[in-house]
Amino acid sequence: MEFLGYGRPDGTVGVRNHVVVIPAGRCSNELAVTIADAVGGTVPLLHNHGCLLLKPDNERALQTLIGLGCNPNVAAALVVGIGCESLSAYQIGEGIARSKKQVEIVTIKDVGGFQQAVDRGRMAARHMMAQASQMKREPFALSRLSVGVKCGGSSTLSALAGHRSIGWVLDTLLSKGGQAIFTETAEIIGAEHVLARRAINQDVRQRLLEVVDRMERTIKATGVDIRGSQPTPGNIENGLSTLEEKSLGAIVKSGSAPLQGVLEYAERPQGEGLFFMDCSAWTSHLFLGMAAAGAQICFFSLGGGLPATFHSIPGSVWVPIIPTLTVVSDPKAKQELEYFDNYAGKLIEDKESVDQAGSCLFQELIKVSSGKLTKLESGSGYREVMEIYFTGPTI
Amino acid sequence: MRRKAIITNPKDNVATALTDLEVGDFVEIEIDKDIISTTLLDSIPLGHKFSIANVKAGSLIMKYGESIGEAIADIRAGQHVHVHNICSTRAGGVAEKSEED
Repeated sequence: MEFLGYGRPDGTVGVRNHVVVIPAGRCSNELAVTIADAVGGTVPLLHNHGCLLLKPDNERALQTLIGLGCNPNVAAALVVGIGCESLSAYQIGEGIARSKKQVEIVTIKDVGGFQQAVDRGRMAARHMMAQASQMKREPFALSRLSVGVKCGGSSTLSALAGHRSIGWVLDTLLSKGGQAIFTETAEIIGAEHVLARRAINQDVRQRLLEVVDRMERTIKATGVDIRGSQPTPGNIENGLSTLEEKSLGAIVKSGSAPLQGVLEYAERPQGEGLFFMDCSAWTSHLFLGMAAAGAQICFFSLGGGLPATFHSIPGSVWVPIIPTLTVVSDPKAKQELEYFDNYAGKLIEDKESVDQAGSCLFQELIKVSSGKLTKLESGSGYREVMEIYFTGPTI
Repeated sequence: MRRKAIITNPKDNVATALTDLEVGDFVEIEIDKDIISTTLLDSIPLGHKFSIANVKAGSLIMKYGESIGEAIADIRAGQHVHVHNICSTRAGGVAEKSEED
């Protein structure tokens, strides 16, 4: 079994072929958008890093932005900045250049003004687009895929349908040598002992328990009752009663493969298999972290509730460079299926087995990896500002 | 015929409704070649849980074969199980003993 992808100079394989414009800091988000809007097909990767963060968060931001530029779905990267940021465009650009893909750097300080930076950036981006447009897809083994998984709008049905289907896909992909990342640390509180049994060794087990404990202590230290935040009002309306119940359901989406390692946010996993990444459960943190870690494609498993039933997922693509397949579980969302990539609710309706549902979703994974657009990719084009998961203070 | 509810593990004391269920519905659920049957004392919306055993306040509520929290009131088989009568024991969610309703 194969998919059609773009071979990169560093040996990775992209499922998309994007020319991206990466601002060095949020103050150059506008510069990035202005250039990207002037060159059709380029993608600005707007984000929330700026000055006045402390060293650990600056290092995290650098790792994330370099990781994003190195993502296999990126054909070439234009890094832009003002020239006074705490992360320089040069640091970011040089980091991305280690992947041997084409990188250009433009700063307002170097060229003498905003408009001059737009003009220089536009020229560079047009040249990159011309190069990228000549790249062709070739067949590659499925072992070259790294898949990220997130759940959202969870209900009790997610764990009975969509998560089981995704778990089946992950088990199948990993048996062929691929890689998968799942995350949302707060949403394994209550299930960490179950997940820990799958750790390949004591170190991984210990690390998993540590990151969960760290998250739980952080929550408790606020002195605030977590109920009302986790589970969310939407979760509760759809039948999820406690965080433990949510977590025990959430881990179903990771399938049954052994846990190879526990990653910090945006850390690239080494080797094949299943990995857990420490992160909040916030969509905009997560997809970015997984993209920075090299995931080329993501699953988003939706339970029920208003986001599923009235397709009220923002029409945005949270991280524009990685296609996200939406899987919906609630039979009450059936009238909105044109907005989702896969309907797993047949498992609730007893019309399909897990093997059938998983197999169908697996075929969709291969098609999307080979170029088929997801519903979100052909959505409105509304842009979110991506959010790096900072844990320190803004001062 | 479409199943009305599901029990995820033989150790569970709750089942999850796979369709909207009404007060008085007699629900039979297969788990591991056993049939557990319950008459509902509450209406149970799709995706919500109901008890399949009598559970005393302070006892663990079991789903997926694991604890999902504690009962904060006595719960009879067939009753709706949700935030009004069970509570998390993690991340600051304290299962408080409440007045019997």
